[in-house]
Amino acid sequence: MAQNKDKNTIEYGEPVGMLAAQSLGEPGTQMILRAFHFAGIESTIATSGLPRIVELVDARKKPETPITFIYLTGEYKRSVGKAEQTLKKVSEVRMGIVVRRILENFSKGIIKLVLDAQVLKANELTPGQLAQKVAKKLDARTKVDKDGNILVKLKTKKLTEVRSTSVKLMKDVVQGVEGAGKAVLQKDPKTGEFYIIAAGSNIGGIMDIEGVDKSKIYTNDVFAMCRQFGIEAARNTLVRELDTTLREQKINVDKRHLMLIADAMTYSGTIKGVGRHGLSGQKQSVFAKAAYEETVKHLVNAAAFSEVDYMRGVTENILVGKQIPLGTGSVHLAIKKEDMQKVKPKK
Amino acid sequence: MTDKIDNEIVPLHALIEGKESRAVLADMQLKPENLPKIFSTDPQAVKLGAKPGDVIKIKRRDYGNAYEIYRLVVEEQ
Repeated sequence: MAQNKDKNTIEYGEPVGMLAAQSLGEPGTQMILRAFHFAGIESTIATSGLPRIVELVDARKKPETPITFIYLTGEYKRSVGKAEQTLKKVSEVRMGIVVRRILENFSKGIIKLVLDAQVLKANELTPGQLAQKVAKKLDARTKVDKDGNILVKLKTKKLTEVRSTSVKLMKDVVQGVEGAGKAVLQKDPKTGEFYIIAAGSNIGGIMDIEGVDKSKIYTNDVFAMCRQFGIEAARNTLVRELDTTLREQKINVDKRHLMLIADAMTYSGTIKGVGRHGLSGQKQSVFAKAAYEETVKHLVNAAAFSEVDYMRGVTENILVGKQIPLGTGSVHLAIKKEDMQKVKPKK
Repeated sequence: MTDKIDNEIVPLHALIEGKESRAVLADMQLKPENLPKIFSTDPQAVKLGAKPGDVIKIKRRDYGNAYEIYRLVVEEQ
């Protein structure tokens, strides 16, 4: 036990950052490059494997496939009816989905929306409700005709304006939370409780809905987590996402490596990528920056602004052939001032 | 805006007094600017009413491993 502890303890001067980078980099070569997409098994398939790791480490503002796990409170998670109510309030339905065809009468400034009755029924919407929403949104008069279609009378008759409003109209959210994406209800096989998976990451909007457990909501969008819960939550999300992605591929990387990477990325109070625009690009040393990428640009900038290199890092010391400040190289000989005076120079 | 309600992913944040923060920094032989940063606009900093220059103590619990880290509150760039 004691031996085991010693084996797992990092000693002073150990290059932990490099160990973390290599521990993540080596298994990365074994990962699949592109995930296969199996149609129809699950409605929401997350990016996985190497593309997902790259996405996380580069700190992309929007993940390719944002997913939010919404857990429910009290009776909402137990009864199907209640859970479905919440689902309906969350799941985003755009006008484009319920409208089958759009007919524009430019000479009269009228837009006719031919609705898809089946889709309407599935979402439990009526043409009347939709007409009211459109009227409120556009500040125009709307009417439902006898076939259940919506007629919108616009104030303008200009061709470009009629067209642009009809295009905008198609993108309007008629039900659910904007940015929440399509949501599906899931049942936990162990506990029999219901939860919702949504293909969006607007957790701020989702949290406003009744029955949503605010203390458990989780999304794989690191920036959304940062906005809603702060930098520490973003750091934890990063660790969790990296870990689950690696685990999916049955790759064992110690969590402490991932934690170090996440700590480095969130050090400055915001999430920074690892590449040239993030951590590597913001090193202090001119030589270290020049040795990585865009050598000439960095050297020219340093010359123009008369920058100083203190030679404290690893890269710049290797570059000039000095001992690196790592391991035994990080220990220096020091002498007290009063002891120094006792030393007599040899003649 | 929604209430900034604690999520289970957020560790406990606490604002520490000037005296305590100086003791902590002396213990670690650090200057305040060497600490990791947190923006004053960060939801957790806003909740505590932290101003730039304050130090926030965070009680992390990483996979059963409990420890504390400190972040310096800074203005958002």
